[in-house]
Amino acid sequence: MATSKFQALWNHPAGPKTIHFWAPTFKWGISIANIADSTKPPEKVSYPQQIAVTATGVIWTRYSTVITPKNWNLFSVNVAMAATGIYQLTRKIRHDYFSEEQAAVAKE
Amino acid sequence: MSDFAIMTVPDFCAADSCMASFKAFLNSPVGPKTTHFWGPVANWGFVIAGLVDMQKPPEMISGNMTAAMCIYSGLFMRFAWMVQPRNYLLLACHASNESVQLYQLSRWAKGQGYLGGEKKDEASSQ
Repeated sequence: MATSKFQALWNHPAGPKTIHFWAPTFKWGISIANIADSTKPPEKVSYPQQIAVTATGVIWTRYSTVITPKNWNLFSVNVAMAATGIYQLTRKIRHDYFSEEQAAVAKE
Repeated sequence: MSDFAIMTVPDFCAADSCMASFKAFLNSPVGPKTTHFWGPVANWGFVIAGLVDMQKPPEMISGNMTAAMCIYSGLFMRFAWMVQPRNYLLLACHASNESVQLYQLSRWAKGQGYLGGEKKDEASSQ
């Protein structure tokens, strides 16, 4: 019984033998990279890149529920992308716009 | 105002066939009324971000993120080719992103000293 369930997954049209599995699975790498970068100084965070990550995450979160078949792997990875992108953006915005007194002193 | 009158129909492709192909695009299974269009449009953001970041010093590049992007775009080029319906817009987007991110990765690697460049410890002025 267990083997046939496993076989069903293994042979699924969006299963691990297909790109439909590995492409969304690897997309987690982007969120993992973002988490790894969350300890880097905010000066090194790139606004254009994080805006792109956030926008992609938000749009694909919505659309992964509208395609057929619904791809929950794709959904979850894009939720994570949006979350890490927003986190990086808030870090950088806080640093740039809400700690100006410190930045002004540090630049001396 | 008479110039304006002269500039109408014959100037570029016969207006009828232009409208026809534009309408065909609007109604296509991967057109702007479908999700297969807007997802890839969002992904062009990565390409634009990469192009903008090419002007920045290499110290600002994240090696983690850039390497992840290279693998990500490689996989999604294959995904765009195999998905039904085949999505050329997504393919073009990821092919472009792959090029941009590989270039950024090479800039980062040089800045780190991996490709024979000198390692720069602090942000240096040039």
